[in-house]
Amino acid sequence: MVNQWILIGVLAVATYVSRVLGLTVMAGRELNPAVRLYFNYVPTAIIVALIVKQIFIPSGGHLVLSLPVLAACLAGALAILLFKKFLPSVVAGVVVGLLVRYFL
Amino acid sequence: MEQRKATIRTACVEALPLAIAIAAYGLSYGVLATQVDFNALTAVLMSVLVFSGSAQLVAVAMLAGGAGLTSVLLTVVLLNLRNLLYGAALADGLGPAKKWTSLLAFGITDEPFVLASSRFQKVGPDPLYFAVVAGIFYIAWIFSSLTGALIGDHLDPQKFGLDLAFPVTFAALLVPGLKGKPVIGTALAAVLMALCLEWFKPGNELTIIITGLLAPLVGLFMHRRSDHG
Repeated sequence: MVNQWILIGVLAVATYVSRVLGLTVMAGRELNPAVRLYFNYVPTAIIVALIVKQIFIPSGGHLVLSLPVLAACLAGALAILLFKKFLPSVVAGVVVGLLVRYFL
Repeated sequence: MEQRKATIRTACVEALPLAIAIAAYGLSYGVLATQVDFNALTAVLMSVLVFSGSAQLVAVAMLAGGAGLTSVLLTVVLLNLRNLLYGAALADGLGPAKKWTSLLAFGITDEPFVLASSRFQKVGPDPLYFAVVAGIFYIAWIFSSLTGALIGDHLDPQKFGLDLAFPVTFAALLVPGLKGKPVIGTALAAVLMALCLEWFKPGNELTIIITGLLAPLVGLFMHRRSDHG
């Protein structure tokens, strides 16, 4: 188990440093447009990797597809596309996931 | 004086709708944090000291998957790269704040960046506007995290499907941003890469970092191609 206090301290420093570096070191420099785009795509890649890791769960050295998680994600994604509201979409996704978990 | 008041009023009006959205993320973060054994105090402390929705949600989700300190830190550093862009873009507009700039730096994150950069384009440098907007978001973030943590403390995770709330939260964060071929390409590449890495070694800690580093290159490639085609 990761020590929470250390984790919080480390993340606080890392995040603040990135903010200050942008204001000071990066200010006034022409940043390569490719680098700019790359930085903007990074969060998408990380979020997708996180989702994939939760849909495909390791079990005894193999990957197992979790149907409830997959259903929950698809339902949540569909809900936010349709209704554009964050919390209701998360709740809808969780409810669908629970239904799949208990009835399939 | 009148002008300062007008600035503060504009900042409040423009920040409010986004503050509600931020509170929704904060609520989710608070609930999820309690699922990985944060208590209300540590969950809120992280919001007070880090003040970054993406970093905090990703950190908590990675802990839930059993990640260690190093991989969480590396992933957050990767996520934070875009703060460099924000800081660079806001530097001129925050310039008049002088010695207060290092305090205002703490407020640099996605939503204040969006509001402040459009404000600076309209009226020029305006640190006061940024301070008010970031302050409102900070308060919204802290109180919603606290509320979420207090709720999460009293729920039975399995019964209420809180384990499902992790992936669904990220799906709901991801989908609205999937616009344009390069971003969609990045997402699809990330699916393939993450799957391959997990297939190769199930449950390995490097999946998120490697995918975060490499999948954006596919997006970049697609952007280049659409530029020249």
